[in-house]
Amino acid sequence: MMQRPGWDTAPPDVDLRGVWTAVAAQVWRRRPGPAERLAARLLRSPGLARALVTTPSLLLGWVIASVAVLAAGAAATLETGTPYVALLAPAFAAAGIAYAYGPGIDPAWDLSQSMAVSHRMVLLVRALAVFALNAAFGLAATAASVLAGSGTAAAVTFGWLIPMTAVCALALAAATLARSANVGVVAGMAGWGIAVLAGGATAGRFPVLTDSALILPCLAFAACCALIAFYATRSPRGTS
Amino acid sequence: MNIEIAGLTRRFGRNQAVAGVDLEAGPGVFGLLGPNGAGKTSLLRMMATVLPPSSGRLRLLDRDPGRYGPRREIRRRLGYLPQNLGYYPSFTVVEFVEYFALLKEMPAARVPAAVAAAVERADLGDKAKAKLRTLSGGMLRRVGIAQAIVNEPDLLLLDEPTAGLDPEQRVAFRSLLRDLGQRATVVVSTHLVEDVGAACTEVALMNQGKIVFYGTPEQLTARGEGHGVGDAPLERGYSAVLTQARS
Repeated sequence: MMQRPGWDTAPPDVDLRGVWTAVAAQVWRRRPGPAERLAARLLRSPGLARALVTTPSLLLGWVIASVAVLAAGAAATLETGTPYVALLAPAFAAAGIAYAYGPGIDPAWDLSQSMAVSHRMVLLVRALAVFALNAAFGLAATAASVLAGSGTAAAVTFGWLIPMTAVCALALAAATLARSANVGVVAGMAGWGIAVLAGGATAGRFPVLTDSALILPCLAFAACCALIAFYATRSPRGTS
Repeated sequence: MNIEIAGLTRRFGRNQAVAGVDLEAGPGVFGLLGPNGAGKTSLLRMMATVLPPSSGRLRLLDRDPGRYGPRREIRRRLGYLPQNLGYYPSFTVVEFVEYFALLKEMPAARVPAAVAAAVERADLGDKAKAKLRTLSGGMLRRVGIAQAIVNEPDLLLLDEPTAGLDPEQRVAFRSLLRDLGQRATVVVSTHLVEDVGAACTEVALMNQGKIVFYGTPEQLTARGEGHGVGDAPLERGYSAVLTQARS
């Protein structure tokens, strides 16, 4: 399409277009950051790594906001004794999952459906990364509680990591089925709210945050939701 | 043949968007004409492996897109410009084109040169480092064209590619199409008949989900002789075929 001035007058044995393109390629080349290089090596796919580092809910602003909210919750917990961190964290993680992938979140989602890198793989690596980030927050909170001698490590595990898995899987399944991150957020938060409030109403406390007997039901629920998301993102069947 | 289609249909609930299309196309520039709602975009999306057909036979680049492995290989050799191009506002032109080069699984070492070549071919060299949110609609269309051709596709599907381009850019774009059509199958869906007349070697006209004309632009022009509607000969042919199909 483009013919730059002077190219027509170049000697026939000089490929000015080729030289120009080679120079432009070097000047315009993007240098991937360390996280993207590591992801490309681990995933064996530069495309998947690029899709991972562009996850909207893993951008720096989102991570900083997560840390700020959870730190405020931790301070409030220490001050009042009410488990605000455990109450807030699974809902926050669900929002992170819902905003990790999908139409309306990825502007070029429609175009990405025609790409060789599987969009299901993009969904899975992004979901995994958000889970991993939240698990890291959970471990940091556990370590902090041990150092403070408050003995809330178990509460963090039962009240955050296990419910987080179930609530995130619900948000993921709802967002994938409805093809809307907002629906995923609403479903995740509604599910979590119902679980907390129902426990509070019947037992006068928050058994969903502390009762180890709920681990297996939570994980089974998470597995069902993950299967739903897996089915909803199955490859389209053409006919031939 | 790069495209082999037989009895292809696509339904959306009660609406039959594509109603039994038969089509074969090899290298060259192939124009897909038709009024709004004729089924052009649905047909193109099926060829882009984005939309599964309801029934019929579809083979692309001698492969079956219904199976995972062949579909992945097709997608590596496919270029697609959707009608509505979504974009990341904070990406630069180069970052956007590179992103899709990587998603097409181009070898990473080849990507920078391929991106530079595609950006130059789309006449975006001066805007290579500009953020997409700062570009005009016509420039964004050219960014979409650049991402579609970055992998030098064997099958290039363009949905309304000249929408928003100024006359000078449209002339240059038709030249690019003819160049690409030397080795690849280029399918251009448009309602601008002058694009078809200037760049396409073959043309199909769709109406209500069916192909009602298939031939060369000259044959379409000939169908319009003696028909009064339309300013240009090709427009008269387009109008005559549609009138006949609707009657």
